[in-house]
Amino acid sequence: MILKIIGAAFIISAAYLYGVQLSSRYRNRVNNLESLLVSLEMVHAEINHGLTPLPQAFARAGKNISNPMGNIFLDAAKEMESCRGLSAQKCWVEAVQKYKNELDLTERQLNEINRLSVIWGKGDKAGQLKQIALIQDFIRHALEKARLELDRNDKLWRYLGLLGGVTLSLMLL
Amino acid sequence: MKKASQIIKEQILPYLSPSVRTILNMVSPDLLNQVEEIRLRSVQGLMIILPGLGGAFLDQRGCISSQHKAYLVVSKEIEDTLELLSGYSIYACEEELRQGYLTIPGGHRVGLAGRAVIENGAVKILNCISSMNIRVSRQVLGAGEKVVPFLIDRRKGRIYHTIVISPPQAGKTTLLRDLARSISQGEGVFNQGLKVSIIDERSEIAGCYQGVPQLDTGCRTDVLDACPKAEGIMMALRALSPQVIITDEIGREEDIQAIEEAVNSGVSVITSAHGCSLDDIFHRPILNKLIQKNYFERLVILSSRDGPGTIETIVEGEKGLPLYSSRGGE
Repeated sequence: MILKIIGAAFIISAAYLYGVQLSSRYRNRVNNLESLLVSLEMVHAEINHGLTPLPQAFARAGKNISNPMGNIFLDAAKEMESCRGLSAQKCWVEAVQKYKNELDLTERQLNEINRLSVIWGKGDKAGQLKQIALIQDFIRHALEKARLELDRNDKLWRYLGLLGGVTLSLMLL
Repeated sequence: MKKASQIIKEQILPYLSPSVRTILNMVSPDLLNQVEEIRLRSVQGLMIILPGLGGAFLDQRGCISSQHKAYLVVSKEIEDTLELLSGYSIYACEEELRQGYLTIPGGHRVGLAGRAVIENGAVKILNCISSMNIRVSRQVLGAGEKVVPFLIDRRKGRIYHTIVISPPQAGKTTLLRDLARSISQGEGVFNQGLKVSIIDERSEIAGCYQGVPQLDTGCRTDVLDACPKAEGIMMALRALSPQVIITDEIGREEDIQAIEEAVNSGVSVITSAHGCSLDDIFHRPILNKLIQKNYFERLVILSSRDGPGTIETIVEGEKGLPLYSSRGGE
């Protein structure tokens, strides 16, 4: 009997943790998008107020964000300063490619982040700021949607995991 | 001292599009040592400018070639090079782009040509860049050695107000830079150097990159980079308490007014103007006014006769007496 109880406890814990893992994707997605929005805001401010060169603006933004999104900015900045002669577009795309598996974003959101590569370093100040603002608008909408999904799915997946584990244990018992 | 080929490889090539960089990397060091300019023109052959020879085309292997065998530079390469030159930040170089040049670390200047965007009757920015001219900056330490003794007023312990007259590419800026360095360091001047302010409107004298001089201008030198001459002279007078102000290529009415202000404030002024001889200056009404008023106590005339920086004559301003002549010495 003790063995059965221990087995059931294992099944319930595993199922619950699986539910938590699934729900954490929604939480991470919100975190990723929030970080991106903050980073873009920092880059926007650096360009607007200090005309800070892009590699430095990226490095400063990246240092202030700890999750993979910060690493994308730091990596892109490092690549730009490496003198390999890559375009800003390539530096950004390579950095996104490197960290995309650590981001819990949808394909569409990833495409939108990649789309940022086209604007970096191109055009005058007004054009650059306008482009960043446009992408920020999209990210804000995506963030709202991600928050709604989080509210809807966070508890759902946890409870589903827990209940699924309990049901399976009862069936096996 | 670093060789020009090493300077080009370390300071200029990293800013070029990878394909152009590869070709220039293959150029022999002896040839690279002589390069004065690298010219990239859209859909034209890659060209280097060599002393005496003028323009020479380079082929895909980095060897001098005829025009039809030259490596053809495409617009994308110019676009990529501009991105690298601007440090991935065109927005941070708008003012330089408006003036048609960029400066990179090492003080190398890149002249640009393209489509000018006009706003309110003035050039707002250069767009669609179609060609660029990368000038290799070379500091010639000691370029002013011969001139400095003629510029010192030992009796009053000051530097004479001086104008350097020279045609383009004859070493005017190089001389001004070395004068700034010598005076600031105190080399052959007085017991110690003097405080020098350089008003470097086009970042040519000190070759500043992000405000920091890339060329040696001396330990007592302050540089107002990319600052209009007239405004810069007044700013220096107000804030930097200079003993000597050095600026390049005067010619506008407001420059003259600012120079008058500096001269009347007891600050020595060393400046330059385009021209081949004194007569050329006399034909320019604004500069003539300064000469007539005897503001300049020394006039230094340069030429490229024996290479850039050949000192033709040094004339005492008020009486027009020659103090030095390249043909007759002192």
